[in-house]
Amino acid sequence: MNREYNNGVPCFVVFQVGSRRVALPRESVAELIASPQLFAFPHTTPIIAGVVLRRGRILPVLDLGPGVSGGASPSTRFFLVVERRISGATEKCAIPVQGACELVSGIMFPGADNVDFVVGRLDLNGDQIDVLDLEKAIATCSRSQDETAGVTEVLS
Amino acid sequence: MTQQIIPGFAPRDARPKEQIVVFAIGEYSFVISASAVQEIRSTDSLGGNIVELERPVLRKVRHVVERDSHSYYVVSGYEHFRLPLSRPTSVLILRNVPAAVLVDRIEEMAEMRVLLGLPRTFCGEERTWYRGLTVVARKVVPVAEPRGFLTSEELRQLEAANPGLLQRVAHSAKTLRQQRERV
Repeated sequence: MNREYNNGVPCFVVFQVGSRRVALPRESVAELIASPQLFAFPHTTPIIAGVVLRRGRILPVLDLGPGVSGGASPSTRFFLVVERRISGATEKCAIPVQGACELVSGIMFPGADNVDFVVGRLDLNGDQIDVLDLEKAIATCSRSQDETAGVTEVLS
Repeated sequence: MTQQIIPGFAPRDARPKEQIVVFAIGEYSFVISASAVQEIRSTDSLGGNIVELERPVLRKVRHVVERDSHSYYVVSGYEHFRLPLSRPTSVLILRNVPAAVLVDRIEEMAEMRVLLGLPRTFCGEERTWYRGLTVVARKVVPVAEPRGFLTSEELRQLEAANPGLLQRVAHSAKTLRQQRERV
């Protein structure tokens, strides 16, 4: 059986960003890790909260909170490792998550909201879970952080 | 079969090593290759060798310092890394780059055994600031790129706004030193 499908039904990883539960297609998620420490250092790339060390590799930590749940995610030691294509290469990144993550299978329906980073919606026992387009969610979060930084600079 | 342990012969780590200086600005630690640093001094000892820039075109550079007949632009470390105001107590005078970097404190001299590339997700100024990342005392620390403190474009701007200043400061300091030696 293909791990991305359960009897022909696609699989999703449901997780919590801040106070909002969202999902990603199973194939974009590599693993869930617990990392004891987030390392931060100065940089100017929006959305990156720091890095975690995983098996001798550096994973940038991307906080989806500002775009997805309206504020920075609370600190956590759990991260969902996702794969991105950047400049023609694959790179693993970590997304801080709160609470439990679930692997579910279900049919994705078109989303009702007109939010560009939501590609569809899952119905999990009556709970409506938005399925994210990861790259669009990252772009939205980057934009929202850029705007916040702009406001801060104007005020300071 | 298990490998026989020979007392006194520990397995040798064959990875290349690099001597580094670990310094701090504000709450952050950084690393720079020791071979990129000419001298480390206390800010108190620079006193009379500092000249204010006639036209400070960069927020992070306001002074020039003279050391051993060479002049260096004084780069504020916290301004360079876009950090809140800090209290520098040491200055790293760089080799092969006309920059002296103000830092809050020197934490230690150490050895770097691994240099990890900055992940591609980082796409801002940090790509100029850092050579990569390393691990020191189980902490991930950025490795400063010496030429990143003043890029060639920034050097061009400083020189264009203050033509010949570096050479003048070095020359006048040399002349002063020669006069003192005669006396």
